[in-house]
Amino acid sequence: MLNFRFIFRQIRSSHKQALIFVFCVALSLLTLVSLGGFSSSVRSSMLKDARQLHAADIIIHSHYPLSPVLTTAIKDYEKQGLATSAVVHEFYSMTSNTALEKSVLSHLKVIEKGYPFYGKVELASGRDFSEVLKEGTIVVEQSALDRLGAEPGDSLQIGSAELIIADTVIAEPDRPVSFFSFGPRIFVAAADLERLDLIRMGSRIHYNYLLKVNDPAMVDRLADELASVAVAPQERVNTFENAESGVKRFFENFLFFLNLIGIFTLLLAGIGIQTALGALLRDSEYTIGIMKAVGATNRFICSHFILMIMLLGTFGTLLGLSLSFLLQLYLPALFGGILPASVDLVIAWDTVFEGLLLGTAVVGLFSFMPLRRVRNLKPAAIFRKERGTAGGRLAQYFTIGVITCFFTGLTIWQLEDIATGIYFVLGLVGLLGLNTLITQALLRIIRKKRPRTLALRQAFRGLFRPKNATRAIIITLSASLSVIFSIYLIEQNLQATFIQSYPPDLPNAYFLDIQPTQRQKFSTILGTEAQFYPIIRARLASINGRAIDREIERQRRRDNLSREFNLTYRDFLLDDEQLIVGDSLFGNRIEELRQRGEVPVSVLDTVAEIGDIRVGNLLVFSVQSIPLKARVTSMRTRTESQVRPYFYFVFQEETLKAAPQTIFSAAKMERAKLAEVQNRLAKELPNISVIDIAKTIEILARIMHKLSTIVQFFTSFSIIAGLLIIISSIFATRLARIREAVYYKILGASSGFVLQVFTLENFLIAMVCGLLAGLIAQAGSWIVCSRVFDISYHPLPGRMAIMVGITVLLVIGVGIGASLSILQQKPAGFLRDEE
Amino acid sequence: MKVRITKSAGKNLCKLLLCLLFIYVLAGCDRQDKPSSNNPQPVAPARIYEGTIIALGDSLTAGLGVAEEEAYPAVLEEKLQQSGYNWQVINGGISGETSSGALTRINWIIAQKPDIVILETGANDGMRGIPTWVIKDNISQAAKLLKEAGVEVILAGMQMLQNLGPDYTKEFAAVYPAVAQEQKILLIPFFLEQVAGTPSLNLPDFIHPTPEGHRIVAQTVYPYVVKAIQARRLDRSAKNKKNR
Amino acid sequence: MADKVLEAVELSKSYRVDDRRITVLDNISMAVEKGEFLVIEGKSGSGKSTLLSLLSGLYKPDSGRILLNDRDITGLSEDQLAPFRNRTIGYVFQSFHLIPSLTALENIMFPAELNHDPAATAKAAELLRRVDLHQRDDNFPHQLSGGEKQRVALCRALVNSPQIVFADEPTGNLDSANGETILQLLMKLRREVATTLVMATHSREISSTADRILRLVDGRIDS
Repeated sequence: MLNFRFIFRQIRSSHKQALIFVFCVALSLLTLVSLGGFSSSVRSSMLKDARQLHAADIIIHSHYPLSPVLTTAIKDYEKQGLATSAVVHEFYSMTSNTALEKSVLSHLKVIEKGYPFYGKVELASGRDFSEVLKEGTIVVEQSALDRLGAEPGDSLQIGSAELIIADTVIAEPDRPVSFFSFGPRIFVAAADLERLDLIRMGSRIHYNYLLKVNDPAMVDRLADELASVAVAPQERVNTFENAESGVKRFFENFLFFLNLIGIFTLLLAGIGIQTALGALLRDSEYTIGIMKAVGATNRFICSHFILMIMLLGTFGTLLGLSLSFLLQLYLPALFGGILPASVDLVIAWDTVFEGLLLGTAVVGLFSFMPLRRVRNLKPAAIFRKERGTAGGRLAQYFTIGVITCFFTGLTIWQLEDIATGIYFVLGLVGLLGLNTLITQALLRIIRKKRPRTLALRQAFRGLFRPKNATRAIIITLSASLSVIFSIYLIEQNLQATFIQSYPPDLPNAYFLDIQPTQRQKFSTILGTEAQFYPIIRARLASINGRAIDREIERQRRRDNLSREFNLTYRDFLLDDEQLIVGDSLFGNRIEELRQRGEVPVSVLDTVAEIGDIRVGNLLVFSVQSIPLKARVTSMRTRTESQVRPYFYFVFQEETLKAAPQTIFSAAKMERAKLAEVQNRLAKELPNISVIDIAKTIEILARIMHKLSTIVQFFTSFSIIAGLLIIISSIFATRLARIREAVYYKILGASSGFVLQVFTLENFLIAMVCGLLAGLIAQAGSWIVCSRVFDISYHPLPGRMAIMVGITVLLVIGVGIGASLSILQQKPAGFLRDEE
Repeated sequence: MKVRITKSAGKNLCKLLLCLLFIYVLAGCDRQDKPSSNNPQPVAPARIYEGTIIALGDSLTAGLGVAEEEAYPAVLEEKLQQSGYNWQVINGGISGETSSGALTRINWIIAQKPDIVILETGANDGMRGIPTWVIKDNISQAAKLLKEAGVEVILAGMQMLQNLGPDYTKEFAAVYPAVAQEQKILLIPFFLEQVAGTPSLNLPDFIHPTPEGHRIVAQTVYPYVVKAIQARRLDRSAKNKKNR
Repeated sequence: MADKVLEAVELSKSYRVDDRRITVLDNISMAVEKGEFLVIEGKSGSGKSTLLSLLSGLYKPDSGRILLNDRDITGLSEDQLAPFRNRTIGYVFQSFHLIPSLTALENIMFPAELNHDPAATAKAAELLRRVDLHQRDDNFPHQLSGGEKQRVALCRALVNSPQIVFADEPTGNLDSANGETILQLLMKLRREVATTLVMATHSREISSTADRILRLVDGRIDS
């Protein structure tokens, strides 16, 4: 006995609220589906990058020829058509230009056809790498030519073979993986390997077996199978995803961030739907009361409202889906310039399906509470125009429990890690609880205040109007704002750590093993500004008399205290350092220390954390078997995790000047200049080794930049979606508030006064929410950054203030927008509605 | 909507870059910088020794990847003690050090007044392709300074990885006999005799010996040390006579 | 002829419901004299409330003019109307329309405060005392009964001593006893502040006490 006309009438009578509800659902779905779709394509694009960084799906590494079992296994895969393999022999060798009698240590890569399976080796001539590298030829890095005074077409002596330079290489996809190279890269065809005659007893060869797996889903399985037959420990089987390339963690952080955004969006969507629905049903309470009064059963009412919600929900869902398709259609045009071309903005059907399911689940779950209120509504209460209670506490807790479980499940599903998921939800619940507590406390304080100005007083009183859901508004608003603020803060911190770690002045060449007596000469040869870091090798013997326990140290996952440390001396802070304890590096009681036979030392916070070292502690170092008693006088931290050298322990110059040391230097210079410097060093200071990381930095910077734009895109997308959701929920709740304005007007208040009261009231709400959200977002982001991402955290107070400011403007603006109609129109019409 | 992910507890790339850098360059040419204890109690040794031997060297001496008591200097001392030579062997190895670094700290070594120095260096130079004449000059100079300070020098002969090419490896191997001859010092023909190139005696990095490898190294070094000790004893008694 | 406080000239008002046009008031002209008690009488749906809304400026007529103290207020903007609503006019509604966020006392004070009356509190308290609600001054509207609410509304309408009070079925939501009390109070207070009263009602009983009765039938004055 459903009455569709009734439903239609109901929708029509509260069409504004219904519209907002539909809008919220549509927006939530749009965000979920689009973000989901894009993030999966971004993910595949990122995985593509990761693949390219290793040029293969599975990489087997050994210093010995592959064991027969492993070879057989690989052969089997190839026979079954599961995978293709290529062997890459990597090793150092002297390469000489016999004509000029010049030779240089070079980093050879002897490759089989197929390499690279992913990515491209780019050549200066623009030709295809596999076409160029043939038997008898080599492809070299420009710096090899510079060092050897050779040109393409010349022949070079490597091992026992004479090989002709066919081309120069510009980019190599897997360069960052082996970036730490003492010599320029030379590619040799596998056909020439025998002729080189360099693989013999006493040769150190990196045997890299690259596998391309035809079905991406099988990568992990095949790798596991290979690993199970590999000879440990010398044969290491890795996939492009778990290879310890350094870039891996970086990718992980960004993928995690994308997931985070997914969860946050879900939260926002839920909040939005719940608020809009709550407002919609509240609008209908009067009708419900009457219906109950004339004998309608709860069953009847609930089934009708459920149907109504379903209708509206379906409509919103369809709208959201069409919008996301539209968005997908126009997105390439909109973001073509911003997003990397490799990111396809395609919405997959499974994400649409997932989105639909999620949308339905969220609508269903979050409708439960408002619907329960409908059920518990007493007709009498309606006529007194009071609010029905939300029903039994038990039911309320039950609902909250179900929602929490649902959300926990989703989070775990997203993160694919139960522990992290549970921690995450616990953290969120904790923050929400804190939010509620602070809101309560604040409201209690505000309630007692009776300001003198009439408008302000009205604004204050307005917050405590009976039937007014101020507390609920503040909690929802601050919760959703916290989410948005957190996304922003985390994104900014990720950017600061990863992207801004690649400033243009980053050194691209490292110089090793400069002897103190060579420093002057080295500076002259370098000719440009460079940083010098004296390095003294030493071990830490004890902290405050407690000896370093080797076994315990061995367990540490990150760094450990039993390794040889690089001590240095200087009397200034580096650009990216800050003192966190102490007001100077070495304090002002140096003389006192000296009398006790101690020296001052400044410690970096990271190592202090590992060893629980505090200022005032006594560290005993063993500087090449000479004990050194050092008192910790200050604690330093690094403001940016830049690709710059850092030192755990900094001493005064006089302490270590006499100790055996070498100097490490880093500089930024043009390629041509570097070649010149290298040649001069080879002649005049031949013991100095040069590590050229320009290529690696270039590739990494490119990847970082790409990810940064993706992350920016996602962040802004979810922030905008979040804002829209917030706006609609403010609108929904504020709409109820405008009745007040009618009374003001009837009693002779000017629109200026009404505006003032509303602005003040909205300002109060916005300020409270903004500040609360700021607080929660700071706490949450700090936890995420320091615990999950393991990056340093900057609270960014200035930007936070701007965010709060925008919030205030937004809430006031939307609030005024919602009450605009009443300001201009005659009040009688509104009064009539009321009766 | 789902994005697959592995839990991240990531160190960031930059840290890693540097970490690698330092481990590579300054701790020898491998990342497997397993912690090895060095709890030196150099202050007031409990016992009086007849003399002091400093094993000056790089990661092969320091014992990268094995515990310090498993590295060859410790094994050597044990061996000497067992054979009745009450001599102390100090591990003066610094991972990643080149012959230039060794030369730079030679005065520091001399200041510790050793009777005998086992000079093991040059491997890192070789792996970086440093011209062999540089290595030769450094070792030669270091040996000369040690001798001038009245220290008995044992030079550990080294060979380079074959992949560097026949010319370089030949030149490299020739450095040690040449210096030994020139400076008239004891020469261990090849420090890693029977160890280099044998998978079971080396860590997976191919370069650094396992504890078993270090025992063989100690075996190889031992007769030369005994020779040096005897030379030292002769020298001492000659001095004593003169003083009398 | 006595002073005219309020004059309506040829007022018309119609609503549009779907495609039909319903004329509520049809060409009404009338005047209210100073100090008189005018009752607008008629059946439910005869247009009483609409006429009252138009006369008090809460609504805009389709045509015609309204003169308050000889000033045409028909075309005034909402803000230009505000001072009239605050000082010249007082309202009492059938369904009270108290501001839910304010206490009884504050509801009464509110118009006086808008008028920057320094004695707002005192006046409001005095009025509350007169209607015997001074002990309930801290109660919010939802804590008051219907009769009490209307008493508060009465006080609120009179706190600025308006020239003219409009009352739209003030007893319509009350039982007879409470209705009686309200009426008596209204009469008493009206006399004390010497204000004009225009009341819409369908109660013959009330009409009988009026100075003048205007009967509305189907949107026209029945003469």
